[in-house]
Amino acid sequence: MIIESTMKAVELLFSFDSEIYTIIFLSLAISLLATATASFFGTILGILISISDFKLKRFTKKIVFTFMGIPPVVMGLVVLLLITGPFDGMNLLFTKSAMYIAQTLLVLPIIVGNIIISSEKTQKKILETATTLGANKYHKITLLIKEIKPFILMSVILGFSRALSEVGAVMLVGGNIKNDTRVMTTYIALNNSMGEYSMSIAMGIILLLIAFVLHTLLARFRGDFYD
Amino acid sequence: MIEIKGLVVRYKTVEFKFDDYKFKKNMISIISGRNGTGKTTLLKSLSSLIEYEGNIKVNGEITYNSQEPILFNRSTYENIVYPLRIRNLDLNLYKEKIDKYTRVLSIDHLLNENALKLSSGEKMKVSIIRSIIFNPDIVLLDEPTTHLDLESIVELTTLIKELKNELTFIIVSHNSSFVEELKDEEYRLGGNHVYS
Ligand SMILES: Nc1ncnc2c1ncn2[C@@H]1O[C@H](COP(=O)(O)OP(=O)(O)OP(=O)(O)O)[C@@H](O)[C@H]1O
Ligand SMILES: [Mg+2]
Repeated sequence: MIIESTMKAVELLFSFDSEIYTIIFLSLAISLLATATASFFGTILGILISISDFKLKRFTKKIVFTFMGIPPVVMGLVVLLLITGPFDGMNLLFTKSAMYIAQTLLVLPIIVGNIIISSEKTQKKILETATTLGANKYHKITLLIKEIKPFILMSVILGFSRALSEVGAVMLVGGNIKNDTRVMTTYIALNNSMGEYSMSIAMGIILLLIAFVLHTLLARFRGDFYD
Repeated sequence: MIEIKGLVVRYKTVEFKFDDYKFKKNMISIISGRNGTGKTTLLKSLSSLIEYEGNIKVNGEITYNSQEPILFNRSTYENIVYPLRIRNLDLNLYKEKIDKYTRVLSIDHLLNENALKLSSGEKMKVSIIRSIIFNPDIVLLDEPTTHLDLESIVELTTLIKELKNELTFIIVSHNSSFVEELKDEEYRLGGNHVYS
């Protein structure tokens, strides 16, 4: 049965079925946008947290690290409660915007956390050196960003992987509506529950291919750094 | 030039009390003492990189060159000009100086290499040049001869002697011939640290 379904899956991929490609496009678009947003704010936040000294620093870090591993479905639930509660008026439930918000919040702690971890390893010596050479706060922040750039790129890719591969959050806030909020992972979940394995496998193959490309990039950045 | 009075540095389990002292301008002061007597601690407090109690009076700009060279992930040249760039200085005006220093220390062929790929001795030389290129008033060198071969130590001695009239050096070193060549004054450490 596996072979049969896989054959059918490959067939499906090359049939250029517009529904499938719309779904792939939507998946990539939402996850990319979410990752881009989270990366921008996450980098700034991560660097600020790691170079500043403040009272609740340890506590803040613990929170960030906890959220790095939050199950997507829980994040989905939180966003669901927010958009049906305090932000009800914005009519976000079952929209692409809601999916974008949920994924951004999901990726944000991954970026922030990874940047805190990587910059704490290198930052003390680098910042000390910069200080003694006469650098001010602005110089130090830009220097630090440059020094941990490979780590930033790595966390961005990790974040994107997470966004693209999660089901829980987009399912809850997007609702998996056909031709609207359906993405690759929710599509797989749906077809699976209906016994349509070949559809699931087709999407699975694409997700794997994307993951392969991402991790090839990741290995490159890692190589850059340890060279 | 630098005056210390009642200087005390506390770490979690050990406390360092430093004798009052005046490091004189345009002199080469050597700080000596066995491992763990607080030489690095003293240099770091002089350059305000760590917290301390008591008084340190510094006249002028001071810079600390650490025991293990810490370079940035960029070319040797970009490492050397970092202090100039953050001061918005015209790099062309420093070309001659960079040429000269890198030639004296025999690293002029490495200017375009990524600094993180250099050998330990080469890294130390880059880091020393980066510390003096921007004409600070006081340069603290923490064990500058570690990782350097004998010829390089002679080259460094020459360079420091040449710069002596412009800069004030405070140097920690265990290398006796290097110390003998350069020493104007000596500040000895030892016995003044208390473990709790
Ligand atoms: N940040 C720190 N926290 C706690 N203890 C420290 C810290 N820095 C240094 N010490 C301790 O203080 C002592 C002196 O350290 P320091 O680096 O000043 O010695 P040193 O004279 O430079 O030694 P060496 O010749 O080996 O370089 C050491 O025993 C070290 O363990
Ligand atoms: Mg030391």
